[in-house]
Amino acid sequence: MLISGPVKILKIDGVSSQDSLLLIYYPKIEKVKNDSGLVGASLKVISSLRQELINLFSKTLPTPASSLLMGIIFGIKEQMPKDFSDNLKTTGVFHVIAASGMNVTLVGGFISAFFAFFLKRQIAIILSIIGIIFYAVLAGLEASIIRASIMGVLVFSSQIMGRQSLAVNGLALAGFAMLFIDPSLIFDIGFQLSFAATLGLVYIRPLFERRQRTDSRIDILEKKKPNMFTVGIGGDISTTISAQIITMPILLANFGTYSIYSILVNGIVLWTVPILMIVGGVGAILGLILEPLGKLLIYLCYPLLLYFESVVRFFGTMGGIIAIQSLSFEFIAGYYCLLASVLILFRKK
Amino acid sequence: MIHSTKLKIFLIGPTLLFLLACILIYQNITYNDKKLRVVICDVGQGDAIFIRTPQGSDILIDSGPDDSVLSCLGRHMPFWDKTLEIAILTHPDADHVTGFIDVIKRYKLISFYTSKVEAKTTVYNQFLKTLKDYKIKQNFLWQGDRFTFEDDLTMETLWPTEYWSGATTNSFSTTELSSYKSFKVLLTGDLDAEQMEHVTNLAGDIDFLKVPHHGSRFSLTEEILETLSPEMAVISVGKNSYGHPTPFILNLLKSKNIKTLRTDQNGEIEIISDGRTWKIK
Repeated sequence: MLISGPVKILKIDGVSSQDSLLLIYYPKIEKVKNDSGLVGASLKVISSLRQELINLFSKTLPTPASSLLMGIIFGIKEQMPKDFSDNLKTTGVFHVIAASGMNVTLVGGFISAFFAFFLKRQIAIILSIIGIIFYAVLAGLEASIIRASIMGVLVFSSQIMGRQSLAVNGLALAGFAMLFIDPSLIFDIGFQLSFAATLGLVYIRPLFERRQRTDSRIDILEKKKPNMFTVGIGGDISTTISAQIITMPILLANFGTYSIYSILVNGIVLWTVPILMIVGGVGAILGLILEPLGKLLIYLCYPLLLYFESVVRFFGTMGGIIAIQSLSFEFIAGYYCLLASVLILFRKK
Repeated sequence: MIHSTKLKIFLIGPTLLFLLACILIYQNITYNDKKLRVVICDVGQGDAIFIRTPQGSDILIDSGPDDSVLSCLGRHMPFWDKTLEIAILTHPDADHVTGFIDVIKRYKLISFYTSKVEAKTTVYNQFLKTLKDYKIKQNFLWQGDRFTFEDDLTMETLWPTEYWSGATTNSFSTTELSSYKSFKVLLTGDLDAEQMEHVTNLAGDIDFLKVPHHGSRFSLTEEILETLSPEMAVISVGKNSYGHPTPFILNLLKSKNIKTLRTDQNGEIEIISDGRTWKIK
């Protein structure tokens, strides 16, 4: 790995010049040893594709609309201006720009539906599995997208074998596999949040639904499909609350703040996300082939992006942040014991 | 499941198209109202000033210490417009030049102007490299140079002179007086009072002043303010360790009864003028 870029020496009072801090501007990170063979070649293709996509979006839409759309569709965050990403964090909707379960569902579903027209179903499913892996690499291989991809691949593979897949088993397998390869991931906040939030969706969210389905036998990917007309804002709010109940201690322990408007903000913006993913995603693919057509579809996203952006900016300036100095270990342990007991109690009924 | 999603796209498509049309028409009307807009962007400690002429040319003067100028441009240009007709860098300090690195990557710069002074900083070198990568030519502005637009709008360079040889990059700051009919705005970069005295005599009575050098102690004097007698002043400033804006300058402005806005307190400041009257949005 070669990291190059202009370096500035930070002068700090009381620190001798030998021990000074170096700050690197615009670091350029390159892989020195080039992987030859299929993996290396495809990585190269994917990284140049990523750059093409960034160019297409930033040339079409103003900032931050373009970076918001890139974040939602591909989890690309490096183009996000700091002021806007701060607003996303303070309003509690930063998670929309992390590629995760919904992206995988749409990518897989889209590819399998498209190829099912002229190929055998099994082959279409295999192609969609390849598509999911391709997408995960394109999205930058963060913990959340790896987790979602493993679960997604399991769901699609189980379709080939005619087996049912349980969300919680998929989640456990994904967690085990990821920790087996890199045990230090357990300290990764993204990893913790992604797994906790998915657990919340599997176990807590069903409690909000009037007609309780069997038990945890709910396909998590199925659950997160874009049912904006049937479930709508109410569904988004119960999803948000389910995820927040379980991730709250992680968020508070790491960031020390909670936005009182986050449930409201999530409730009024999340419905735009699947639409933006589909329209923008198709626009991105078409844009790589026929730029004007792709641009038109990306422009179609603009009204929703403007809405999203205005809501986030409005609530970002409202404040409403609760700050907590420190969270003791005993409190967190007690919180999760309490949560687990409540969940077990409700499941027995 | 995807089939039902596809059906919905056929409903969503026309809705989005309709909304897009509304935004297009709305922005077309608001941005083509034949008014001059001057926006002092809130970029923290630094300067970034966006001007949209009555005929829809876009001018960016300085670009702030990071990429937050992008949001400012996004808010004040129609969404389909990704072209800056004129870009000016007053001087190469990091709190004025850094944002250009991102601006160049996302906007088409028709022309680029700056002051003939260089810096040795890494950020400035990065900026020069970006200019080169995007094949943008540097032009220099000197006292007396003048941009003329339609509708009696001009933008005249009041500083630096060709024989100026100051010790600091700040003292080379390109200073622009834009006059739209009787409405006058003076944009001063990071000048000190020493150079401001020369500028002041050329500028005369103005309406709106961007206080030089984020309100530093030596940016203005009583005499300068008396000659310029602006109705309003703006200080582009953020969190900093230099003590900007200094109490001295704030008191001076107060004593002259000049209404003063600060980007760190008021956020971005937009001035709209039809050439005779003007208002703050």
